[in-house]
Amino acid sequence: MLKLDNLTADVGEGDGRKTILNGLSLEVPAGEVHAIMGPNGAGKSTLSYVLTGRDGYEATSGTATLNGDDLLDMEPDERAAAGLFLSFQYPVEIPGVPVMTFVRAAINAQRKTRGEDEISAPDFIKKAREIGQKLNIDADMLKRPVNVGFSGGEKKRLEIFQMMMMEPRFAILDETDSGLDIDALKTVADGVNALRSEDRGMLVITHYQRLLDHIKPDRVHVLAKGRIVKSGGPELALQLEKEGYDGILGEVA
Amino acid sequence: MTTTALKNPSEAERQLAERFARQKPEVAQKAAFEAFGRTGLPHRRMEQWKWTDVRQAVPELAPVTADADTTIELPSNAVKLSFDGTAWTIPDELPAGLNIFLISGGHDFAQADALPVGALAASMTGHSGKDMLMIEVSAKVDRPLVLSYHGGDDAAFSRVVFVVREACHVDIFEHYSGGSGFSSFLTEFGLAEGASANRTLLQEASQQEVTAITTTAHLETKAAFTQSALAFGGKLCRIETHLEHKGEGAEATLNGAYLAASGYHTDFTTHVTHGAESCVTSQLTKGAVADGGRGVFQGKFLVPRTIGQFTDAEMQHQALLLENGAEIFAKPELEIYADDVECEHGNTSGQLDEDALFYMQQRGIPKPEARALLTEAFIAEALEKAHEDVRAQLVEATRRFLRNQRGG
Ligand SMILES: Nc1ncnc2c1ncn2[C@@H]1O[C@H](COP(=O)(O)OP(=O)(O)OP(=O)(O)O)[C@@H](O)[C@H]1O
Ligand SMILES: [Mg+2]
Repeated sequence: MLKLDNLTADVGEGDGRKTILNGLSLEVPAGEVHAIMGPNGAGKSTLSYVLTGRDGYEATSGTATLNGDDLLDMEPDERAAAGLFLSFQYPVEIPGVPVMTFVRAAINAQRKTRGEDEISAPDFIKKAREIGQKLNIDADMLKRPVNVGFSGGEKKRLEIFQMMMMEPRFAILDETDSGLDIDALKTVADGVNALRSEDRGMLVITHYQRLLDHIKPDRVHVLAKGRIVKSGGPELALQLEKEGYDGILGEVA
Repeated sequence: MTTTALKNPSEAERQLAERFARQKPEVAQKAAFEAFGRTGLPHRRMEQWKWTDVRQAVPELAPVTADADTTIELPSNAVKLSFDGTAWTIPDELPAGLNIFLISGGHDFAQADALPVGALAASMTGHSGKDMLMIEVSAKVDRPLVLSYHGGDDAAFSRVVFVVREACHVDIFEHYSGGSGFSSFLTEFGLAEGASANRTLLQEASQQEVTAITTTAHLETKAAFTQSALAFGGKLCRIETHLEHKGEGAEATLNGAYLAASGYHTDFTTHVTHGAESCVTSQLTKGAVADGGRGVFQGKFLVPRTIGQFTDAEMQHQALLLENGAEIFAKPELEIYADDVECEHGNTSGQLDEDALFYMQQRGIPKPEARALLTEAFIAEALEKAHEDVRAQLVEATRRFLRNQRGG
């Protein structure tokens, strides 16, 4: 499903330009959930931005494909229409645009790009109400401008709300667990698990085992210095929790 | 005698003097033309007009042909008045509490020296008995009053005087849709104690037209005046509002939104005097300007000693440069002599937030659409107080404008 081969990427401008991803290879087959862990500044968010096409995060070599389609060749909105979703580590405020307006505009824009019909207003409202209830998001929050004045945890829940509304084929969750209280973590994990399916893949970036207790990943990868330095089963996360990155990185170095 | 009032007249000024000379002016009109003659068409060497040079923009009076861009669907109960550049048309039947008179003869324009283009309108109207209206509101009129301005060939002038009696109310929607090479429209509001007016204004014109919309408003005790203006500009467009709080506890809201495409120039200028205690002014002006467009905001609050005590006034101007090459000129001014007041002002201009644009794109919204959506939301805030029957249509007009911009 998602296939990254020897991906290299620079960030920054002019003299500040530096290579952050350095020959990163990774494959997430359809139906699987993989976790990425790694020290601060390792390049995890950079990877998510390179894949989603943020300005200033261009790949310099290597390939990234989703179901065989070259992601790096598409505009960010085309990648979204192809089914790629990113739950942002730091969700952004959209002043003046209510959540409901925004999500509907986004869904319809994706459908238009794919040549599909728009979602009907009643269907949209019904779906939003159901998903809102599952995530403990009240109707008032959905009328407010996107993320404006939302608490840290509310922003993260709203990311998952959007993911569930859009039903992407591949989702990257960048530290969606940080900022969530214990109950919200469970709610969000339930949402993620509900989306698990044979034709969908996920990449969950996290620092903590806690989330992985709820979302049982098929594989765990350690990203350090811009590449995947170690991969394993769920037990790798537990080992990291015990030994820290120094232990693991010392082992591979 | 009239031409002597103008020193070194330009071709346009000579034509205006000729036009005036064909009239039979009374004292008030003569005084108004003399006031205009002291400056002629305002130009960049005048402090208040340094960014909006009318003299240069109107070298001569020349006709244009232009169609109105936007059709606004009006509520079925609207009282419709229209001005074709020469004459007003008034409906035969008017609701109770609304009297409309066509006026001829002189009628003093007290602010003539501060408002030269307004003075020009005051001098040119009232001769034919067709181009000057007195509108008296003596009830809470629940049907909105609609004034449409379109046409006029090479030049158009109109003057409308609103007299809103004690505790009475009127909703007004004015649609200026061009059709005249040069036009100056003067509207004066007198709001008696406890009276209120909610005025919504839409201005559009072609790139050949120069338009001045001048407004004065006097607010007696506890009167309330709310203005929401959406302007697309023209070759040059100046929307100037001078408001004076004359009685305690009066309240004014002066909101405006300007959008300027390439080759368009829109100017919002306001002057508010807090001439009585405990008055409130809230002003929000938003703008969005494309490459080759120009936006101007000049706002002034004057709060005199003693009489201006307990003033509560806020002025905000926020503008978006949609592209490189957009120009925005802003001068917010607070002149405060009273000591117990709350006055705030803010002035920002910048570009759309790239992080927000990327976030929207990541969710599937193509960049041009994301830009339009963000800009529309930004502009719409200044239209929140517009009359509910037309508010959505104004936002729609904004959206259409933004969809037509190249973006980038
Ligand atoms: N736009 C940028 N300009 C310059 N440096 C950048 C930019 N974006 C990221 N970096 C740098 O790239 C490195 C990787 O950052 P990244 O955000 O990908 O780390 P991360 O693995 O997500 O860390 P964390 O766990 O703290 O979220 C960091 O050193 C960061 O400072
Ligand atoms: Mg990160």
